[in-house]
Amino acid sequence: MEEGEGSNGGVFEGGLEVRVLVVDDSPVERRMVEGLLKKSGAMFQVIAVDSGKRAMEVLGLTDDKAEHPTVDHQKVDIILTDYSMPEMTGYDLLKTVKEQSCRKPIPVIIMSSENEPQRISRCRAIGAEDFILKPLQTNDVLRLRSYARPTELSPRTGTKRKMTLELMAENSGSDRRPRLAGLAVS
Amino acid sequence: MALHFSSAHPISALHPLLCFFLHDTYPEMEYASGLQRQLASMKKNLFDQGYLDEQFYQLEELQDESSPNFVEEVVTLFFRDSSRLVANIDQALQKYPQDFRRLDNFMHQLKGSASSIGAAKMKNECTSFREFCNKENREGCLRSFQKVKKEHAVLKQKLENYFQLLKQVGPVDKATHSGN
Repeated sequence: MEEGEGSNGGVFEGGLEVRVLVVDDSPVERRMVEGLLKKSGAMFQVIAVDSGKRAMEVLGLTDDKAEHPTVDHQKVDIILTDYSMPEMTGYDLLKTVKEQSCRKPIPVIIMSSENEPQRISRCRAIGAEDFILKPLQTNDVLRLRSYARPTELSPRTGTKRKMTLELMAENSGSDRRPRLAGLAVS
Repeated sequence: MALHFSSAHPISALHPLLCFFLHDTYPEMEYASGLQRQLASMKKNLFDQGYLDEQFYQLEELQDESSPNFVEEVVTLFFRDSSRLVANIDQALQKYPQDFRRLDNFMHQLKGSASSIGAAKMKNECTSFREFCNKENREGCLRSFQKVKKEHAVLKQKLENYFQLLKQVGPVDKATHSGN
């Protein structure tokens, strides 16, 4: 399987599937977010982990990647991470992801129960796409769709929330996965 | 629902006939209806007395054919996790000197989970505890923690009763926000 960055999701019966990596040390909140994502429609495929460290493994960003080059890292389209976690906080994860995936950055959305302006601006300053207050609601999940990453060929859009995902027909001679194109998401 | 038959009403003639045909099922229907009323009343009380808030409706909204036991599943998960956190806090409070940051972290987690399932009273007591933590007031923390534990135990019992009754009632339509 390919690396975690550079993915625009798979295609499944019914439309585009967006892989969301949910990172939260609380099993209750993980389950809630998973339930919300699945309820919002079949377009979300959820990968839920309980720590920043585990998220790094899923994304293929751990130091031992070189020792295990055949490890099957899952592709991720959006990262939805809690801010306050032990050992590796959501902020630490955000920073690492943005540093590592500079070629095709994965959108990172921070979740927090604390509405602290300093925390929010700190996260946005290093590239967080959004900051959502917990507990998450249905509206928050619907917003995630607008953060599905565009490809290099997507045209500029008028507002930050509108993105175009581009579909390229799968080349029979290549390993590239089909991607969705020409679809405006608002 | 009570059926009223007027002696002047033609359908009153059918009443004995209806009772004859329904005599096996009418008591069961009445029993089921009574259970449903009991369930609705129990749920309403949980909200009126402040144990639950609107976030609990969010849980219910996420329950469907693909996740038919979602609410009970998440609540069970909550009590498993919260019991662990309560034990951790209990242990941490016995230590000296007090690590208020550690205490606050545990309580932050507990508050977050409580908030996710709509456990309003618990959430409020967690907030009070954290305020004492921020002031490094150990006595305040101890008093507040007793309230957290009390609310935790009370909510656990009430929700266990609720789900037990829910199982007896069986699959019903989604409850309205009024709790009826």
